[in-house]
Amino acid sequence: MKKITLFLLALTLLTGCQAAPAGEAVQDRTGVTVVMPPTSEPEAGFDPAFGWGAGEHVHEPLIQSTLTVTNPDLTIGYDLATDMSVSEDGLTWTVTIRDGVKFTDGEPLTAEDVAFTYNTVKETSSVNDFTMLDRAETVDGATVVFHMRTPFSIWPYTMAVVGIVPEHAYDPATYGTNPIGSGRYILKQWDRGQQVILEYNPDYYGQQPRMEKVTILFMEEDAAFLAVQAGQADLAYTSAPYAGQTVDGFSLLSVKSVDNRGINLPIWNNELTSDPLVRHAINLGLDRQRMIDDVLNGYGTPAYSVCDGMPWYSLVNEIEHDRTKAAGLLDAAGWLAGPDGIREKDGVRAALTIHYAAGDSVRQGMAAELANQLKELGIETDIKGVGWDTAYTDALSNPLVWGWGAHTPMELYNIYHTAPGSDSALYSPYSNERADELMNAALACTDLEESYALWQAAQEEIAKDAPWVWLVNVDHLYWVREGLAVAEQKIHPHGHGWSIVNNVDRWEWGV
Amino acid sequence: MKNRRQSTLLLLLLAGGALCAVMLAGALQPDAAADFSQKNLPPCLAHPFGTDWLGRDMLGRTLAGLSLSIRLGLLTSAVSAAAALALGTASAALGGWVDSAISWLIDLVMGVPHILLIMLISLACGRGFWGVTLGVALSHWPALARVLRGEALQLRQAPYLQMARRMGVPWGRVLTGHIVPHLLPQLWAGLILQFPHAILHEASVTFLGFGLPPEEPAIGVILSESMAYLTTGRWWLALFPGLTLAATVSLFALAGERLRLLLAPASAQE
Repeated sequence: MKKITLFLLALTLLTGCQAAPAGEAVQDRTGVTVVMPPTSEPEAGFDPAFGWGAGEHVHEPLIQSTLTVTNPDLTIGYDLATDMSVSEDGLTWTVTIRDGVKFTDGEPLTAEDVAFTYNTVKETSSVNDFTMLDRAETVDGATVVFHMRTPFSIWPYTMAVVGIVPEHAYDPATYGTNPIGSGRYILKQWDRGQQVILEYNPDYYGQQPRMEKVTILFMEEDAAFLAVQAGQADLAYTSAPYAGQTVDGFSLLSVKSVDNRGINLPIWNNELTSDPLVRHAINLGLDRQRMIDDVLNGYGTPAYSVCDGMPWYSLVNEIEHDRTKAAGLLDAAGWLAGPDGIREKDGVRAALTIHYAAGDSVRQGMAAELANQLKELGIETDIKGVGWDTAYTDALSNPLVWGWGAHTPMELYNIYHTAPGSDSALYSPYSNERADELMNAALACTDLEESYALWQAAQEEIAKDAPWVWLVNVDHLYWVREGLAVAEQKIHPHGHGWSIVNNVDRWEWGV
Repeated sequence: MKNRRQSTLLLLLLAGGALCAVMLAGALQPDAAADFSQKNLPPCLAHPFGTDWLGRDMLGRTLAGLSLSIRLGLLTSAVSAAAALALGTASAALGGWVDSAISWLIDLVMGVPHILLIMLISLACGRGFWGVTLGVALSHWPALARVLRGEALQLRQAPYLQMARRMGVPWGRVLTGHIVPHLLPQLWAGLILQFPHAILHEASVTFLGFGLPPEEPAIGVILSESMAYLTTGRWWLALFPGLTLAATVSLFALAGERLRLLLAPASAQE
């Protein structure tokens, strides 16, 4: 017994230590201290080949430059590139790059470095998919050509997240901890498990960063809140359960996101959800605003697709919550209310088990809220917390609470397109030939604008099947020290970490 | 108060009764469902232990959690006591290499920190109720086994047992007729004193995320969830479940101690 008491005590002390980080309070007006969740710390360092910037959670790599950037409205702009074009067949991308860009070791950045970077990430990247790329090669010092295996119209979105590394100073073993780039910031110090210190790059070719020093601390949510209360951070992530609190000298910043939560409804393997009428009934019958008020304390927007508000989003996904219509659909499907209010069909009770990632309180809340609302529709619903080791398999026959949202239409493809060599999409049993064709056409399109229309057409096709039900976009919440002006934010993608500092160079301390 | 024996018995019964009541109350009530209109309420008449961020009644969850803990404690204590009895007596009775092997096994299991062993076994068995049960059951027998082995070894040398052997009573009968009954007081007390260990270990391994899943109303789950909300001033989420866990564990310790006093030859006549 004593042993356990000691153990728990030690644990309290450990978490206590996290609350008193190494970072000092930055009030010098040229720097900023930002708190992120521990999961945001890049496991393999700041190497684009191992997921930095281009991994599951996409953001600007800061230390390296990219060829393109995404604009605030998520269309494409240029960083290193000065021009790009694609051949008629969509298989060759030609990109010219700007002159006079230097890596922080003084060497110039050339087309060779760009080709080297892309050939390297293609070879080694395990976190991002580069199978559509055949090879990159240089034409001259300022022009690089990408030869594709298959047409890939949204290649500019991939180019927006791949940081360019120097061929002469790239060693996969050490680059992650000692990255040399040409971006806005230089990695000054990295204390694993604690903090990352970035300093501005005086030779940066673009606008000089206003924030000269950026300190990033990695803390759990409760420790982050304590750090804010103690004035040790200038900006810290937080979530809805903390939003009701007030901290002197800080205000709450709420950033719109496409960081959505939704559930998959397997169109086979599950007796209830294999009926399209039931899937539409669930989609119609859920009151998303109530879900936002209950679980997110109001900090969220209803989600109707995986890509709300993106240029490729189709308004056809938007539906009015209508419980009567939903009940009508369930009746039409033959699921009729039984004596205890739970619907039955041929003696089978309408029952679902909704899985969610254990340890994620928002997803647990979502699942509980879903269970309540589905019960009102006459569907008996249990919830079950699972680990990611089994969640993917569970999702093949049961709804799982997912979180998605990225700055690329590729996500639509990943979720809905029939996976090569199989008869179903990757994450949930689903396949629609017509939608597949439209998405293939979108990728084969040589004009980005035109491709958006094809992505939208694919969504219209998918909306007829309702294989997923999208619930909410979770607002990203931050405590911000008064006087700190955070520059205009793009709609945040999934991941509550690096997105906020995408434009940290444009932040300002007010007067 | 008539005499010490009676008051001891009374205390024992009271402790046992209280634990049974908690177990039944927790097992028979319906699951504390999420009710978002009632979320984050401090303790009040309708919810004496308050509610959490999903609006679940904490009294209900605490009772259900304690009940689960007690049932799990019962199961694991029984399994580990049985294992201890079997191994302890086998070791003493058979001697030789069997004794060496069992002693070595006891040392081995005792050499690994309990909590680590439970985590490993629980993880290997896929967590959940059975993971924790196996983890706790398979890690708690050595202490008792060692005590029983020592006792049985001593008994082996006792004159009346030597006599019985010489007169041709087979080992099996010596074991069941003489040694095991003699070990029972030790066994009962040991079994009950394993309860608090088992419960606390279940709670801590779940607290650390290697035990019961988060939708189970286990005390470890309740406590680890409450950690996230302590900084926002929701003290009731941790305080009441923690206190009741401490009370439950103390009741078991008390009951075990009383039982030992009643059964052990040295104190039974006091």
